[in-house]
Amino acid sequence: MVFIETSQEWLQRSAQLIESKPLSTRTTTKYSISPPRAKSTPEPSSTAASKVTKRSTAPRASIELKTYDPVSGTALKYRTTKAAEVSRLILALGTLGRDMAALPKEEEQEGEDTAMVEAPDAAGEDGEKDAVGKGGKGEAPKESGSAPGGGKKKKKKGKK
Amino acid sequence: MSRETILGDTWLIDDLRLAQFFTRLAEVFASYKDKDHGSVFLSQKRCASILLPRTPSTLAYDQNQPTEPPEPLPILIRATNGHSKSRRNSKIKLSTVVQPTELPGFFARYAEVCKTGMVALKPRDRSKRKEKLKKRKKAAKEES
Repeated sequence: MVFIETSQEWLQRSAQLIESKPLSTRTTTKYSISPPRAKSTPEPSSTAASKVTKRSTAPRASIELKTYDPVSGTALKYRTTKAAEVSRLILALGTLGRDMAALPKEEEQEGEDTAMVEAPDAAGEDGEKDAVGKGGKGEAPKESGSAPGGGKKKKKKGKK
Repeated sequence: MSRETILGDTWLIDDLRLAQFFTRLAEVFASYKDKDHGSVFLSQKRCASILLPRTPSTLAYDQNQPTEPPEPLPILIRATNGHSKSRRNSKIKLSTVVQPTELPGFFARYAEVCKTGMVALKPRDRSKRKEKLKKRKKAAKEES
């Protein structure tokens, strides 16, 4: 059981799994809400203290995508907590749905375009980093300069 | 679900079937709106069992020829609210069969329902963008 870093890679590997075991492979999406943790977040070093406390009061939700083939026992998982990714993930499910239905492959272009458009915005982890940047104003321009390319997806530079 | 609706002979019935699925799925999401815990499970898989009876011989045949279905097959979509065991009475199970021709439309609506339903996810961080804008304006002012 493996957690995969990017949704793009998850999609690719899931598609391969469906292609090789089209009959038994299924894709499950789990949306789960869990109560806020009593403890503070595991990154106390972050200076964005107000942010951390704010986040800890609201319930946390996550989406977990899993492609599982009971015959070979392969499971591919991807997990995220970002609302910005939902539409891209459902798009991925649609692509896998086409594979499951044994429809001819779509032009890959479409999916990637959408990912491109959304990627720079879906930068949750960078949020804390950026908040740190806000503290020291001298560093700020550097931070904002690197941010657009470093948006989560390994789009241009493959940063993550 | 009758065989007729499954095979998609009547578009009217099909529309109604999918509309009903989405309405009920939205209800499941809505039931968790202000809750602090709970899960919604959605799953999809090839729906071969409806067209081919799942006897050992057909299964073996399919496993042997995995990539060569004679024609596009429908897919089976399932959804539950994750209640089991002690809460079995309140378990909600939904399922629908989506024909290959309906797939694009289905996933478009699916995305809508999920986006509106999954409200407890971390929202997009807009403060960052605002900050950036401010900085840019500031820099522009200084330059001019």
